[in-house]
Amino acid sequence: MLVPITYNLRSLFVRKTSLLLTVFGIGATVAIVSGILALQQGFKTMFVAGGRDDVAVFLRPGANSEGDSQFSRDRGLQLIKNVPEIAVGEHGPEASMEAYLAVLLERSGGGLTNIPLRGVQPATFEIRGDEVKIVEGRNFKPGTDEVIIGKRLVDRIQGCRIGDSVRLNTTPFVVVGVFDHVGSFGGEIWGDLDRFCTTMGRYGPNRVIARLKPGTVIGAADPTKAMFSETPIPPVPGSMADRLRDDPVIPAKVMSEAQYLSAQTVFLTIALISLGAMLGVVMGLAAIFTATNTMLSALAARSREIGILLAMGYRPIPIFLSFLFEAVVLGLIGGVVGCLLALPFNGIRAGTMNFQTFTEMAFAFRVTPFVLIVAVTFSLVLGLLGGAWPAWRAARMRPTQAMRRV
Amino acid sequence: MTSPIVSVHNLTKSYSRGGETMRVLDGLNLQMDEGDFIALMGPSGSGKTTLLNMVGGLDRPDQGDIDVAGDPIAEMSGAELAHWRARTVGFVFQGFNLIPVLTALENVELPLKLTKLSGKERREHAKYALQLVGLTDRMHHRPSQLSGGQEQRVAIARAVVTDPKLILADEPTGDLDRTSASQVLDLLAKLNTELKKTILMVTHDPHAAERARTIVHLDKGQLGRIERNAPAPAAARI
Amino acid sequence: MLPFKLVRKNLLRRPLRATLTVLSLTVAIFLICFLRTLITTLTAGVEHADSRRLAAMSSTGLFVELPLSYQQKIDAVEGVERTTKFQWFGGYYRSMKGFFAQFAIDGEAMFAMYPECEVSPEQQASFLHTRNGCIVGDALAADSKFDFKLGQTIQINSPLHPTPGNQAWDFVVCGIYHSKSPNFDNRTLFFHWEYFEETLKGEGHPPGVGVYAIRVKPDADIPAVIANVKGLFENGPQRVDCNTEAEFQRQFVTMFGNLPLFVGWIGTGVLIAIFLACVNTMIMSMREQLSEIGILKSLGFTDRSMFGLLIAQSFTLCCVGGALGLLLAWSTQRGVENLLGTSFPGYRILPATFALAAVIAMLLGLFTGLAPAWRVAKLRCVEALRSVD
Repeated sequence: MLVPITYNLRSLFVRKTSLLLTVFGIGATVAIVSGILALQQGFKTMFVAGGRDDVAVFLRPGANSEGDSQFSRDRGLQLIKNVPEIAVGEHGPEASMEAYLAVLLERSGGGLTNIPLRGVQPATFEIRGDEVKIVEGRNFKPGTDEVIIGKRLVDRIQGCRIGDSVRLNTTPFVVVGVFDHVGSFGGEIWGDLDRFCTTMGRYGPNRVIARLKPGTVIGAADPTKAMFSETPIPPVPGSMADRLRDDPVIPAKVMSEAQYLSAQTVFLTIALISLGAMLGVVMGLAAIFTATNTMLSALAARSREIGILLAMGYRPIPIFLSFLFEAVVLGLIGGVVGCLLALPFNGIRAGTMNFQTFTEMAFAFRVTPFVLIVAVTFSLVLGLLGGAWPAWRAARMRPTQAMRRV
Repeated sequence: MTSPIVSVHNLTKSYSRGGETMRVLDGLNLQMDEGDFIALMGPSGSGKTTLLNMVGGLDRPDQGDIDVAGDPIAEMSGAELAHWRARTVGFVFQGFNLIPVLTALENVELPLKLTKLSGKERREHAKYALQLVGLTDRMHHRPSQLSGGQEQRVAIARAVVTDPKLILADEPTGDLDRTSASQVLDLLAKLNTELKKTILMVTHDPHAAERARTIVHLDKGQLGRIERNAPAPAAARI
Repeated sequence: MLPFKLVRKNLLRRPLRATLTVLSLTVAIFLICFLRTLITTLTAGVEHADSRRLAAMSSTGLFVELPLSYQQKIDAVEGVERTTKFQWFGGYYRSMKGFFAQFAIDGEAMFAMYPECEVSPEQQASFLHTRNGCIVGDALAADSKFDFKLGQTIQINSPLHPTPGNQAWDFVVCGIYHSKSPNFDNRTLFFHWEYFEETLKGEGHPPGVGVYAIRVKPDADIPAVIANVKGLFENGPQRVDCNTEAEFQRQFVTMFGNLPLFVGWIGTGVLIAIFLACVNTMIMSMREQLSEIGILKSLGFTDRSMFGLLIAQSFTLCCVGGALGLLLAWSTQRGVENLLGTSFPGYRILPATFALAAVIAMLLGLFTGLAPAWRVAKLRCVEALRSVD
């Protein structure tokens, strides 16, 4: 009893101009929403990549990120001694203290940006293992005024090539190598912890990282949830996190690196998703209006056809469904166009300030399957909403009315 | 004496347009026997199309009864009427009968999609109907590729493909040239005499009316004179 | 001449279609205002910067603090009228959802140097006499998330500057300020340096200063002052970068990198989408009017006047939609500002933005009508009369 879909599919393509305009209108909307989502996916995947579950991050209690946190050198060392869960390697406990700072540098295209600076100890490289690779030049010698540059910075920031000199406060540091990391470290400048602290007048590292013994459960509360909760969310009772929180000597906030990283882009994610949602709704409305207009016009032109179908004995509900189907296909085509418009963005490099950490994030747009699925679903919904009213009108036509219309 | 296939009693219908109400049908009575071929004639506004629509279950009277093939259609609901139309009547309208994006064959198949026939059976029936109207060679053409006369013949094929009890034609030759009109009327006459189809045709063309068995005149919503024709010349051919 | 009545009647012939198109335009123009304002808000600081104020910060970046001892030395530079300090506090109210800007300041100096910050004299006095007093921006106080009232004691947690006992900081709201200029935002909390320093004494390391704001004397040689200030600390302990306030703001904006460009692209996308939507509508209306146009032409109306008719129709439609869009943007300003909250404070639509949006609406009106108007002008009478859609 359903109206054959060949009718609807072929009818869609009769008015090519109208179809093109509507499809591109929907496509533009979908492309924009996809673009924003791809941006978010880009920095999310970059930031979260390389976050390990077996590496613990120790911060000062109450800190939300390493930028907030601070230990004196002595307390850092004491903390490491205090935590039996830290794995022990051939050089001692696999733990490292790290300082987190930023330096104002100029972008290649002009404009300033805060590039993350990380002062590390040799143990950091042991913990990182193969994740951090020197791809050009060599690693810096501990205790010297040498630095290595993350690969993502090389072309984007001025003065970041091997042999260049980066001035930190009053001391020049020589770039001796380029390193790569699949995650956010690839956009940082690394050097010796103590040299950085002295140069910048810091009295100690910001955080301690350590590789934990296999099977250790940290038990930390989800940092993202904790940030937004008005009452503190306690760690799992009896866990390592719980113990360290209440430690009388060196209290610390501990979580896995994976947990830590996922919380660092929360604000930017919220900002982008809100922007995307807002644009999606607002532009979506315009797209729906366009679709409705197109379908109404098609309806007017095809009212005699509807009259014939009704005269033959086709019932209103199948007619409603068939016009709705047409609108949904319209939306779908628009969605595909939108995806095609968004795809070229994949891999395009972008950089912006993560205002949560106040430092530059260099990443690339990522048009992931998630983005495409959201895009297509969105376009189907647009088609559905746009076609609902015209389909309803079509179904309510009476045969004699429909036939009489010119 | 067979009972009439169409029995209209005291049919009344008014329309309002721009604040004015016009009575289009005024207490009309009419009967049609099975196998009849009636031409409804009258000036515009006489209500002939309205009467046709009523008999076809496309519109409902304000007052009166209509019995078609034993069904009291004036009392049926919209849904019942739709179902009834699919089974009982076939329509041929003036111009623009076919869905432009479907081929001739697909157009003829359309009413069959409302039945329980399989795809293969539908196609068989449709092809047969097209054969009946002599357009087998055009079955995969779209309406834009057919002449006006050919379009109307496809419309007729569609009207008969479900083997309806009644065929209702509203000015079927209105837009056609003499030759095509003649072909269409030949076809209708053939359907009536050879296949015993009951046909009710609205027309203002006297040449078309001549091909029917009976001419019924309508004026101001009421039945006027009734003429009996000599059997159509084409039907005399054995 | 042009049958203007016809313009109106043609547009209203299909009220639903006209309404939907107008609504699309409303939405699009609103978006254009919004997107443009995102950018102008970012650059507001630059354009309204005070020409007599300079900013000195660590050359390495805002992450690094400058010693307290610098203040006196900067004061001693020739041409400097007054110096004051700001330190970013980095706290939140109740949870990170309530994150907003707070600064430790020299109260009296700040009022003297920032006339844009308007506080009633009683509230000013109350603030200066209360050790842990603070003043908050009026938009912050009005925001339902915070709802700060005069005299209220509020707790702010700071991950960056925890109190020795790891407690929240107590502040008493002594005043609510109003910002008179787009470059001074109205969602900040200011409190006393002394209270800041005293509370953190227990940590063992005195807090440093994020930014020194310098006001120069009216006749000062600004480049010289800048050079001198920089020169003072060339050898440390912290090298200093000194800029005019405008330049400081501008540099801050550049840190956002691609974002303004990105917003610009979105705006272009919106424009394209709405252009297509309007052209769609105009073409649909045009098709329906063809036979009428034929009649008008046969009556003697010129091609040019038919062209004008179609353009007048699209222009009217776009102007109505544009006007509604501007109205929507203007009336939702406060709402949007609250929505953007403290992550993007200072949302205010400038007159120039309204003007831009209005011009865009009018241009849309002209260009979307172009193709159909052209078609209609070129149409031969006979064709038009014969056309049945």
